[in-house]
Amino acid sequence: MLKLKMSYPLDRRTFLKKGIHAGAILASVPLWKFLAAKNPETLLAEEPDAALPLGQEEMKKLLEISLGRGGEFAELYFERTVENSISLDEDKVTSATRGLDMGVGFRVLQGEKTGYTFSGDLDFARLKEAAETAALIASGVVKATAEKFTPLTPPSYYLVKVPPDSVAAKAKVDLLVKANAAARAFDKRITQVGVGFGDTTKKILIANSEGLYVEDTQTLTSFGVGCAALEGSKRSRGYESKAGSFGFEHFDLSLAEEFGRKAAEMAIRTLPADDAPAGEFPIVVAKGYGGIFFHEAIGHSLEADGIRKKTSCFWEKLGQPIATPVVTLVDDGTYKGGWGAVDVDDEGYVGHNTVLIDKGKCAAFIQDKLNAKLMKMEQTGNGRRQSYQSYPIPRMTNTYMMPGESMPEDIIKSVAKGLYIVKIGGGNVEPTTGRFVFSVTEGYMIEGGAVKQPLKGIMLMGSGQDVLKNITMVGNDLLVIGGGTCGKDGQSKEVGFGNPTLLVSKITVGGKKA
Amino acid sequence: MDYKKLGEDVVKKALKYGAEEAEACFENVLEFSVNVRKGEVETLQKSVSKGLGLRLFINKQLGFSYTSDLTPDSLEDTIRKTVDLAKITEAKPWQGLPDFGPRALPDLNLYDPEIAGITDEKKIAIAREVEKIALAQDKRITNSEGGEYSNREREAGIFNSKGISYIFKETVCGFGASVIAGEGDNMQSGGWSSRKRFFKELAPVEEVAKRAAQRAVEKLGAKPVETKKVPVIFDRYAAPSFWMGVLSALNGDAVFRKTTFMTDMLEKEISSSLITIIDDPTRPRFVASVPFDGEGNVTRTNTIVDKGVLKMFFYDSQTARKAGVKINTMARRYGFQSGPMAGFLCIVVDNGHDDSASLFKDVKEGLLVTGMRGSGTDVTTGAFSVGCSGFWIVDGAKAFPVDGVTLGGTTLEVLKNIDKVANDIDMRSGMNSPSFRVAEITVGGKKA
Repeated sequence: MLKLKMSYPLDRRTFLKKGIHAGAILASVPLWKFLAAKNPETLLAEEPDAALPLGQEEMKKLLEISLGRGGEFAELYFERTVENSISLDEDKVTSATRGLDMGVGFRVLQGEKTGYTFSGDLDFARLKEAAETAALIASGVVKATAEKFTPLTPPSYYLVKVPPDSVAAKAKVDLLVKANAAARAFDKRITQVGVGFGDTTKKILIANSEGLYVEDTQTLTSFGVGCAALEGSKRSRGYESKAGSFGFEHFDLSLAEEFGRKAAEMAIRTLPADDAPAGEFPIVVAKGYGGIFFHEAIGHSLEADGIRKKTSCFWEKLGQPIATPVVTLVDDGTYKGGWGAVDVDDEGYVGHNTVLIDKGKCAAFIQDKLNAKLMKMEQTGNGRRQSYQSYPIPRMTNTYMMPGESMPEDIIKSVAKGLYIVKIGGGNVEPTTGRFVFSVTEGYMIEGGAVKQPLKGIMLMGSGQDVLKNITMVGNDLLVIGGGTCGKDGQSKEVGFGNPTLLVSKITVGGKKA
Repeated sequence: MDYKKLGEDVVKKALKYGAEEAEACFENVLEFSVNVRKGEVETLQKSVSKGLGLRLFINKQLGFSYTSDLTPDSLEDTIRKTVDLAKITEAKPWQGLPDFGPRALPDLNLYDPEIAGITDEKKIAIAREVEKIALAQDKRITNSEGGEYSNREREAGIFNSKGISYIFKETVCGFGASVIAGEGDNMQSGGWSSRKRFFKELAPVEEVAKRAAQRAVEKLGAKPVETKKVPVIFDRYAAPSFWMGVLSALNGDAVFRKTTFMTDMLEKEISSSLITIIDDPTRPRFVASVPFDGEGNVTRTNTIVDKGVLKMFFYDSQTARKAGVKINTMARRYGFQSGPMAGFLCIVVDNGHDDSASLFKDVKEGLLVTGMRGSGTDVTTGAFSVGCSGFWIVDGAKAFPVDGVTLGGTTLEVLKNIDKVANDIDMRSGMNSPSFRVAEITVGGKKA
């Protein structure tokens, strides 16, 4: 299930634990810097033990304890996350928040079994207890841990020059104020404007019984504007946002002004919307948000846990055609600056670009360590977890469809009567049947090859298998975007997605007009 | 550790460092969960986690932060930084702690001391048993997503500078199974679970297992139908999704901002007179009950909709002050990582007078909804549009399973067209409803 932020500041209802990154900044330095070291910028790189009060010997000891009952594999995952947010609402900076979460998780694997414990208390005695408890999942001959750790230095896919938590609050407040003014100036019918800036800095350290040792600093930054418009009894919303593994250098006043205007434009554009029709129609999906389709309707069904357990509709499709030949779909943890980019995944495997569907044929699955091993396949760098409180599971990073050869305008021209889908608000899928629904936040009628009036209440419904067979034209205009939070097995995680303009020859649309 | 003292001390320190008002919200959680698949333990998790959220006000400016690190130095640092955060924000006259002070807390009997003594072996055996029985129910069941058991013990407190200092303990335990019926392109999953405050009150394993199996098998062969307007029955377990959408539109702050379609509906008929909705988090031993709300208000029962007439919007203290109304509802809080917000705690849609079978009577052709993918309500526009699965009804009886259809209309039309409400409520969670029937909704399917 994927959720997108559409209102800024965020509806607090979506303030799931660590699930959000709206809002934003703290004037002072983050706590981990405060506590530590001479050279704070390279704290973990040079002094890995400064944040985690454990030396390598102690980590090795804890891994030995974890394997003490006969596990095949043990892993220690340390995390320290600082989350900042600032938001503007009703013309005032109303909220500034900060959060700190840290702890260590222990995972022990044996066959298909996983034992997992975590502790927010970093006292060695507590960690030892946690490791002992995780060990209980296994039984049998005790296996040795690696003699010593071999540090891994992964390539970097993050675009962070100016860490957002090093920037003065004033600079972020200026962005909020600028965007708010631009949105309000756009049209008198704009009645509400909310703006948020948020950043999360997650420092992780992974050490395992095979001798892997890796650290990573994951910075995620988001900036968004949401507007509401009102005219008589007609209401609408508009939003615009940017989210990724970005430094503060990716955000400036002209971007803030542009986003304020675009959010207002969308609200005004969709204000006169008609009721959507119900029935089966061709749809043209604009570049960007259609990526949610691929995330939900196809990506989830290609995750290795469902494949291995044969609970996914694609479990026996490897190497077989599952889509039209114009469809090539990738999951790309190496997409630079992506909201789902990973230098290493949450089990220390380096970021990877995996072709899931190659010219229509099912080419690979989304793998983590456990499933790859059991299926005798390669890992793909998709072992991800929400936090130290959860064990990793196979899930997507940045999932997008590769561009094709059609001109976007030709795709629209080819439709006699259908819908033009510009923004999708979110959706969900049942991986067993592949059935999905999406709610559309900006959509239009297409008549005689031209985009006509805006529509409200559009719901798209179908199955992933069917949609893949009905994609008949693909544009040359790929756009990859961020800001989505995907939920799976109770864990939420940031994912990117994208697509070029494309044509789905038929899909079920749920609307009011029969 | 004396968490009451810890919470009170944080509040005192916040005042010392410059806050005019302060509130600490504390949580300590012990969790256990086990998943079994095809008879084997797949995952076993145990954890202890705690944390504290601090909300403070200086000159009507708000600062908020949370931390999972409760060591004295870190707490000290958190308090000082929260004071700094408040200074970044701008004043709003309605910001501040609630006006009410401390009162006597009711004992709702939400803690089961027995749970701490149940062995891991027994918990694993329950997860194993429920899966085993579910798999054996029907030969069309081909696969398993597993059986599970979990429990959680939580100590939560709220402390503020107006003298509120509450702490309470609760337990929740539960188990369930999810299985898959059919093969190839015709697979359906189905699951069921039981969740209670008290271990002894959990449903019999056999009952949960049978229901999980039945929910998978009965969907086999589901197909879409043609687009048409028909009567639609919302099953009691699908109905909560619908009500979630309706209630989301009643947020008092959204009303103040005029961003919800319910804005002008107070004291007006929003639905058929068959509908009465209350918020009741005060039932002893119930899974969704709590003694105090997200800002330290002792909980009580509120009538939200009375025989179709909307009686109140949801406010917390701040949004109520802003809108110039008396706070009458409950505030929610999702753990120590966020502040309180307007909301509801335990919704009960009142039972009707009809038995569930009579909802089907005189339905020549219609839809029984057993699963909804989302709530369907667009809070801004009031448009109603949702994907769902269920059964096609022909001549008053279930004819065949349906999937891949949508419902379309407006939420107010759906509410006003409710023409029958059953008396079959099954209190399971924070959102409870009987089955009900809507005279006519557009069902969108295969052909335009």
